[in-house]
Amino acid sequence: MHELGITRNIVAIVGEAAAGRRVVRITLEIGTQAGIAADAIAFCFDVVARGTAVEGAVLDIVPRAGLELSIKTMEIEEAR
Amino acid sequence: MCGTCGCQNTTMAGTLDHDGGHDGGHDGGHDAEHEHVGADGRRFTHVHHHPHGHARGRAEGDDHPHDHPHDHPHDHPHDHPHDAGHTHDHLATGDLHGAHRHVAPALTPVANRITLSLEARLLAKNDALAVRNRAWFSGRAILALNFVSSPGSGKTSLLVRTIRDLRPARAIYVIEGDQETSRDADRIREAGAPAVQLNTGTGCHLEADMIARGVDELRPAVGGLVLIENVGNLVCPAMFDLGERAKVAILSVTEGEDKPLKYPHMFRAAELVLLNKIDLLPYVEFDVAAAIANAKQVNPALTVLCVSARTGEGLPAWYTWIDEQAHRARAGARLVPVSTGQYPPQWF
Repeated sequence: MHELGITRNIVAIVGEAAAGRRVVRITLEIGTQAGIAADAIAFCFDVVARGTAVEGAVLDIVPRAGLELSIKTMEIEEAR
Repeated sequence: MCGTCGCQNTTMAGTLDHDGGHDGGHDGGHDAEHEHVGADGRRFTHVHHHPHGHARGRAEGDDHPHDHPHDHPHDHPHDHPHDAGHTHDHLATGDLHGAHRHVAPALTPVANRITLSLEARLLAKNDALAVRNRAWFSGRAILALNFVSSPGSGKTSLLVRTIRDLRPARAIYVIEGDQETSRDADRIREAGAPAVQLNTGTGCHLEADMIARGVDELRPAVGGLVLIENVGNLVCPAMFDLGERAKVAILSVTEGEDKPLKYPHMFRAAELVLLNKIDLLPYVEFDVAAAIANAKQVNPALTVLCVSARTGEGLPAWYTWIDEQAHRARAGARLVPVSTGQYPPQWF
């Protein structure tokens, strides 16, 4: 159930960092001991992202050992 | 619209058959530099080499916007992944940027994409607030404990009993977390301790900012005991630090002795397990030794105490544990009780 809140965090953090630019890809690392179900994050991501700069972005979830739970990179469309 | 950079350009209206549909239909050619202005105001300059001539039934000199297959070297990077529904082939033309031709089933505007490193820890905000709570408690020699368990293990009953047994010698404050109602806080107040009820609504756990708000309301005295009753849930509360000195997990004998194995995160996060309702042991099939072994299997550092909040059996050991922890909290705050038993006035 807490994955929904975590996903909201992801969208908020990435949206803020994107500063108005469209986000096309997010890479997330989730540790096996982090107590987070990657499937549940993927499940609610589209819904949470709707109507934000993150809408339509691809979410890559990379499994890691330990307690890791962080957004590693984001790919944005850059204006020149 | 330009399928290379996604821009609109009136002189290029109707262009963009990058599929090479005109290959062979034109001969001759020219070099042309031109600028596109994108819908978003971005400008791109391309140098096109247009092989053309108008075969295929068109009259020479025909004044028409015409479609070019343009293999063009151009001045903007095309550093994009190929997930936009098209592929392109790179032509070895030796120019600086690598001319290439798009083969797009549907012409998708492709802007420049860059990858930024974020390295943002998802629980960073909660953890930062928890650190602040911990510092606040520590500076006031307050012992804060976070009670976690599944619903119905007897958290509230245990708190009520603890309050009745330890007050007024110890100042006790309670923060109650539940999705709805103030029933638990009402029970705590009835037992004589100030309590604040936090309703998480749809939330399944307490977070550090909620504790900061609860503490604001409770104003616990220096050297006091703040007992935080988390939402009944053996999953999520394990990962949210509230700034407590320790998590106390409660397991009751009406549950399965394999619960520590099934919910290892919680038992790994806890320092103490209170095995509650031991007065019911004659009536249930519960293997105490197996439960303790299971708990220690996931967390060898755990202390396990068998108690009954109803009969009071085993509770002295729990109170001794609280005394030890409270002593450490005072030592951490460098508060040394003076002969009167009072703390230095600057701490009040």
